[in-house]
Amino acid sequence: MQKSDVLIIGAGAAGGVAAAALAGAGVSVTCLEQGDWPTPADYPAPRRSYELEARKQWSASPNVRALDVDYPIDDEESDIVPLMYAGVGGSMTLYAADWPRLLPSDFRVRSLDGVADDWPVDYAELLPYYEKTDRAYGISGVAGDPAYPAGEDPPLPPLPIGAGAMKVARAHDRLGWHWWPASQAVLSAPYKGRRPCVQYGACMQGCPEGAKASTDVTHWQGAIANGAQLITHARVSRILVNSRGLAIGAEFVRPDGTWDAAKADVVLLAANAVGTPRILLNSAGPGWPDGLANSSGQLGKRLMVHPFANVMGYFDEPLQSWNGHVGAKITCYEFYETDLDRGFVRGAKWSLAPTGGPLNAALPTRAGSAVFGSGHHQHVREHLGRTVSWGIFGEDLPDERNTVTLDPTLVDSSGIPAPRISYKVGENSRKLLDFHIERAAQSVSEAGAYKVASEALMRYSGWHLLGTARMGADPATSVVDPWCRSHDIPNLYIIDGSVFVTSGGVNPTSTISALALRAAEHLAAAGSAQQVPA
Amino acid sequence: MSDLHDWLVAIADTLIPAADGMPAASEVDIAGTALKAVLTARPDLERHLARAFMLAGDIDKPQEALDSLQQLDAAAYEAILMIVTGGYYMNSRVRELLGYTGQQPQPVRIGEIPEYVSEGLLDRVMARGPRYRDPEVKSVHN
Repeated sequence: MQKSDVLIIGAGAAGGVAAAALAGAGVSVTCLEQGDWPTPADYPAPRRSYELEARKQWSASPNVRALDVDYPIDDEESDIVPLMYAGVGGSMTLYAADWPRLLPSDFRVRSLDGVADDWPVDYAELLPYYEKTDRAYGISGVAGDPAYPAGEDPPLPPLPIGAGAMKVARAHDRLGWHWWPASQAVLSAPYKGRRPCVQYGACMQGCPEGAKASTDVTHWQGAIANGAQLITHARVSRILVNSRGLAIGAEFVRPDGTWDAAKADVVLLAANAVGTPRILLNSAGPGWPDGLANSSGQLGKRLMVHPFANVMGYFDEPLQSWNGHVGAKITCYEFYETDLDRGFVRGAKWSLAPTGGPLNAALPTRAGSAVFGSGHHQHVREHLGRTVSWGIFGEDLPDERNTVTLDPTLVDSSGIPAPRISYKVGENSRKLLDFHIERAAQSVSEAGAYKVASEALMRYSGWHLLGTARMGADPATSVVDPWCRSHDIPNLYIIDGSVFVTSGGVNPTSTISALALRAAEHLAAAGSAQQVPA
Repeated sequence: MSDLHDWLVAIADTLIPAADGMPAASEVDIAGTALKAVLTARPDLERHLARAFMLAGDIDKPQEALDSLQQLDAAAYEAILMIVTGGYYMNSRVRELLGYTGQQPQPVRIGEIPEYVSEGLLDRVMARGPRYRDPEVKSVHN
C-alpha cells in the first residue's frame, strides 16, 4: 500500500471534515474505516416496520445491533450505554442532527465555577470553524438567538416547528423564559445538490433523502474527488510507532481475516471517545506499557456522556407530534448557566422532540409506560400524536473514575480486545437533572399539558462520547495539545470528541467538527514544521 | 395449548382486546400475516417466540401465561410484546382508525411566515437580552 502524507482512522464527523480539508489543501490522505458506505435505500424511514427495525438492526447500540462491523462493548458497569455507528459518516448516520454550539462559558468552567478545567481554546477562537462547518453541512436555523454571541447567520431558513412546539413557545413567552427555533443539520431547502427534508420523523435511523447532514453526503465525495483514498471494512488494531517514537501508520484487518498496514507521515485518530482510547490502549508496547500517548495517565479517563432525562407532556388536541425532524423543534437555555442557589453548578440545554409513531406510543422508549388489556387503546391514543418531549442534556463534569479500558476477556470478531465502559452519574449531574425535570414539567404544564411523565435517567442515551484523551497545554495532565496533537507522539493527532476538556450541556457534533477542521487546517499549514518519520 | 398460532392469538387478544372502537389483535390476523411481516422485519424475534411458546405454551389462561413468561424469561416476554404490538400497528386499518399519517413524505414549505414570527414571540425573546454568560465579565446577562 502506498504511503500517504496523512492516515485518518475513522470516516465519521471528525474524519470526514479533516479528510476534506486536507485533501483540498493538496495533502495525500488515506482513511481506514471499519464499516461500509451506508446505503440510503436500506434506511427504514419509509417502511411500516421502521419502529421495529429501530429497536434492533437500526439501534444506536452496537451491542444491540451486533452487526459484523460493530465491536462489542462491555457496558455492564455503566449507568449509560454508549451509542455509535460504524460506517462512512460514522455516528452521524444515526444522530438526531441537533446542532448547537458550546457556549462561551463552557470553555471556562474552572475560572467561572471553580470546577473541572478551562479549555486551552475559547468560543471566539472556534467561531470561524463553527461557521465554516455550518456552511459545509447546510445548517437550518434562525439568526439572533440571544443564547449565543452574534455571528454569521445560518445558511438556510428554519425547519417548521409544528403545533406542539408552538404551544410550548407561547408558554415560554408567558413565563418569560428563553426559547428559540433549534438549529438543525437538516436541510430546509435544496443545498449543494442535496434534497431538503420531507419530514419522515425518522432521522435517527438514517435519512433516506440525504437531507440530514453526515459526512458521507457532505464531505467524502469532495475529499475523494481531491484524491483522498477511503478504505472501508478496515478495522484498525493498533498504531505502529518506530524506534524514534514517531507514528508510521496503522495495522488493520479485513473481514476475510487478512491483515495489512497503512503507512503515513502523520496519523489522525477519529474513532470516537471509546474507539480512540481502545486503539491507543491496544497499541501499548515496551516503551509505553500503559498505552500509546499516555504518559499523562489520562488516556481513557474522564469519560463524559451527558446523562439524559426527559419530560413528556400530554395534550388533549392532536398535534401530529410524530412528524418532522427529530433532533429538536425548539430549544431552551433558560437554565443553562450556573446559579449556585440551585445547589449545583452548570446547567442543561433542552430540546423539544417529536414522540414517534404508534409502536412508540405502545412501548415508549422515553418517558411514559406501556398499558395492555382494556386500557391499551386509550393509553395509545393519549400518547400518539398528542405529546411533546423535552430532552434534557445536562453538563457532565469530568471524573477520572469514569473510564474506557480494555476488557480482559471480551474481543471483537477479529480477536482484538474490546472496550469496557465504567461510568456513574455524579452527584452534581443528579441534582442538575432533578432541577431541570421540575422546570421542564412546569414548561409543558404552562403549555396546557393535562398530564406530565418524566424519565429521570435514560440508560440508552450515550450518544455523546467525550473526554477520554483530553486537550491541554500541560503534558502532565493532558493527552493532546491545543491543536489536538499528542504531547508524546509529535505526528499523532486525536481529532474526535475524546479531546473535549469538559462536556458542556449541548449536543457535541458541531464542536467536534469545528475542532477537527481547526486541527486539519493547522496541520495542512504546518508544512515542514510538522515532524515526520524519515 | 399445543398450537403456536392459537396460543399467540389468545395472548395477543389479552394484550390488545377490542375496545374504544379499535379491533382486537386477532382481527388483524396477528398470528398470520401480521406475524409474518414482523418476522420479515425482525427475524431475530423468531427465536424468542419459539422459546416463549416452549416455556408458556402449555398454560391455557393467557394472562397466566404472560405472567409466567415475565417471571421466567424477560427477553422472551419482551419479544412477545414487540411481536404483538409491532404486528398490530403495522396494520392499515389500525393506522387509519388512529389517524396516523406519519412516515409519509411531506416537503417542507419555506417562505411562509412562521406563527412565532407573526406573533412577535422571537422579538420578545431578543428583547429580554443575551442569555449567555460572558467569561470576561463573570456575570449572567439577563
